Amino acid sequence: MSVAGLTMAADVMELLTRRFSANSEPDGPPLVAPEHHLKLVRTLRDEFGYRIFGFVIASHHPATTTDAENLGHIRVVYGLRTVGVDTRLASWQLEVGVGNSVPSMVQLFAGADWQEREQYDLVGIRFEGHPDLRRLMLPEDWKGYPLRKDYAIDTEVAPWR
Amino acid sequence: MEVEVASSAGSASREIPANQHPLSNCPTAKTRRGDPYLDIAAYDPEADLMVLNLGPQHPSTHGVFRLKLYLDGEMIVKAVPFCGYLHRGVEKLCEKLTYVQLVPIFDKNDYVSPMMNEQSLVMAFESLLGVEVPRRARYLRTLLAELQRIASHLLWFGAFAMDLGGALGGGSTLFMYCFRERELILDVFEELTGCRFHYNTHMIGGNRHDIPTGWAAKVHSAIDIIERRLIEYESYLTTNRIYLDRTRGVGVVDADLAMELGITGPILRAAGIDHDLRRDAPYHAYDELEVRVTTATAGDCEARTQIRLAEIRESIRLVRLMIDGIPEGPLGSRKPIKSNLAEKSDRGQAYAAVESPRGELGIYVMGGGANRGASPYRLKIRSPSLHALSCLPYVLPGHVVSDAVAILGSVDPIMGEVDR
Amino acid sequence: MSPYLRALIYSLVIITLLLTITAWSIWFERKFSARMQSRVGPTFYGPFGLLQPVVDGLKLLQKEFLIPESADRALFVLAPPLTVILALGTAAVVPFGPDVMAADLDVGVLYILALGSLTTIPVWIAGWASNNKYSLLGGMRAVAQGISYEIPLALAALVPVILAGSMSLADIVNYQIQHGWFAFWPPGPGFFAFLFFLPASLAEANRIPFDIPEAESELIAGVTTEYTGMGFGLLYLAEYLHTLIVSAVASALFFGGWDGPFLPGLHWMVAKTLVLFAGIFAIRWSLVRFRSDQLMGICWRYLVPIGLGLVMVSAIWVQLAKAGAQ
Repeated sequence: MSVAGLTMAADVMELLTRRFSANSEPDGPPLVAPEHHLKLVRTLRDEFGYRIFGFVIASHHPATTTDAENLGHIRVVYGLRTVGVDTRLASWQLEVGVGNSVPSMVQLFAGADWQEREQYDLVGIRFEGHPDLRRLMLPEDWKGYPLRKDYAIDTEVAPWR
Repeated sequence: MEVEVASSAGSASREIPANQHPLSNCPTAKTRRGDPYLDIAAYDPEADLMVLNLGPQHPSTHGVFRLKLYLDGEMIVKAVPFCGYLHRGVEKLCEKLTYVQLVPIFDKNDYVSPMMNEQSLVMAFESLLGVEVPRRARYLRTLLAELQRIASHLLWFGAFAMDLGGALGGGSTLFMYCFRERELILDVFEELTGCRFHYNTHMIGGNRHDIPTGWAAKVHSAIDIIERRLIEYESYLTTNRIYLDRTRGVGVVDADLAMELGITGPILRAAGIDHDLRRDAPYHAYDELEVRVTTATAGDCEARTQIRLAEIRESIRLVRLMIDGIPEGPLGSRKPIKSNLAEKSDRGQAYAAVESPRGELGIYVMGGGANRGASPYRLKIRSPSLHALSCLPYVLPGHVVSDAVAILGSVDPIMGEVDR
Repeated sequence: MSPYLRALIYSLVIITLLLTITAWSIWFERKFSARMQSRVGPTFYGPFGLLQPVVDGLKLLQKEFLIPESADRALFVLAPPLTVILALGTAAVVPFGPDVMAADLDVGVLYILALGSLTTIPVWIAGWASNNKYSLLGGMRAVAQGISYEIPLALAALVPVILAGSMSLADIVNYQIQHGWFAFWPPGPGFFAFLFFLPASLAEANRIPFDIPEAESELIAGVTTEYTGMGFGLLYLAEYLHTLIVSAVASALFFGGWDGPFLPGLHWMVAKTLVLFAGIFAIRWSLVRFRSDQLMGICWRYLVPIGLGLVMVSAIWVQLAKAGAQ
């Protein structure tokens, strides 16, 4: 119903729709194709001054049909912030199928290192180009991705040690 | 106290930053930024480096936190932080509990400033559900946030002194004093909410507890005492030669590094960037108040301490401005809630951020979850301490173990919100 | 009475009294620091918590003395008693009264400096034998600090020796009784020598602000990390003992020892020692600690040159005084 807090400045909306062919979403930030992702980040950082790294949030949307090929998709929301007075947040989404990967923005924002590791740890989305993609919160040998919708909290995958 | 220019990797003369160990020949010290991906096997084929685990059980890692240090003598060559010892799966829990049930859970994230957690959470929910907050509640929230900021910074100050001086020494004296002052604020909170620490005083649409009679006078007296004693504490520590030697030039986080890592709050302001969400993206009643933001230029531990002490003073000023002029009116815009499933949302996304004592504490919520929409679908806490901790692999190399403890203290991580 | 018997009796009495006083100095420290921190301190055992050291001692005695499997057994067990022995040995030449000392050595000051420098060794042994990285770091820092700070200590202790013309502590005290306390007369060298003696001896005794070897916030418990039970108790005791002896030596060297009107000498000596002891506690509970390289910097860049200068000044003074007396 609302995209509150995530509404963006007009120039960024224009940038997203015109240059990066983003699709506006009714209840979320605009959807951008994964191949435009890094260029978008670079443009926002260098030309528009969104220099403070905000967030990387992945969420798992399981398949609604019972197709064998449809494993569901994962949406990743990114956020960047401008500096100083009248700070604005720019955010956009990427959507990939479960098992696919998304380009990593570590080269552009060093903060993406840990944030992407955490999303990999909890949701299981891989980030291509990440130098050290391992688990952050959970022990290294944990199996399963807890924040997926098909990860029940009391499964055997999570033994109590 | 200026930030030195980083020399290029190929230059012949190596600039050792001020106050670094005089025998430092760590290659990462050349560029003044450590390399988190340094290949130890290649750097040190004879395995001469000593691996020291600072934590998870350690008197001064501010919670359960493991810092694996590769030491050349006493100098740190590579620092690898490991967090996750306090991971409690809050984000998964949020998908099971309803909006109404979530507020008390969130006290425990940043367990040192619970008001901020609650406020960012209810702000995000109010955005998502389209709920208005009456003016009185917004003022009260601002007031509570500023009081909480004072309490949190006092705790940090005491803990930082302990990191520098030890639990059996001068640090613990300052720790006791700061806690004694903090008790005044906790008493004030107990008067208001019934709880000293994890309050559960915010609800979607307003606040739960209204101001009792005589509360304003108590707040005034608490603030006056704290302001007087703050002068003593500053003279205790900030002009002490030993303290200055330990913190000046130590742990410099420059502005570019801070912004790239997403570090906000006192660390970013100590690096010279004038960025404070209270003034730049006003929420609650901050648009009616003028928040004066302090910045420093050095970016070292001393600058961060100065900024936090200045923030205490600024919060004292704001509390004084607000305490006598809270507008009358209702405290909540909803009727009292009788059921956990009272608030529902089918879809939508919202993000709300507050300026916590550590930086930008944001809650991202996606509606339309379980319990027929009464739970979020996905809730993510953008915790400032996690971003702040990620600066350690860049900042620590080139320093010694004593500096590592001082830097960790001045970065002020709260493991509850790092690990969630 | 045979001089050997006399020495034996005095030694036994002094050792017993010292150990007892040290145990109660722990109580004193806890009460004192508690008052400084607006707390109360021990109040539970005995009136005003006076039985707290007894209870602490009993508790430590009944705990198991754990020796880590990969630790060097002999050295590990050797270190704590060695610290206590060396600290107690220093007490042999301290003049508690005109006739109350275990041994009136001609080279008293040298003996104290020698034993004081030896106290670094058991600390390092403890650090090495624990087979623990934190202890190792603590031990290494202790060696660096201990060796460095012997020099300002020796230089500061040389000033009373030069001014009095003798290394025997009894002679130094007697000289002060006749010519005025060294801390105040001659104005200058004595006072500054005291100001150097105090930090240097704090560094030897590993007290804050020089307690890098057991820096609790960095190295867990530093050198004493692996010690439990009475081993820890002995190391802890030795630290307080060393501090107590240092205050006694400082009051003998700089503040006239047993000099004072009305009361017998022993009382004055004890009073001065306790005043300095309390001063050392006040310093401990007010200051944060140095980093080890800053510590070394202070020693080698400031204390040593100025110490040398002080020795020179006091030597010149003595010559002038002799020339003036002729």
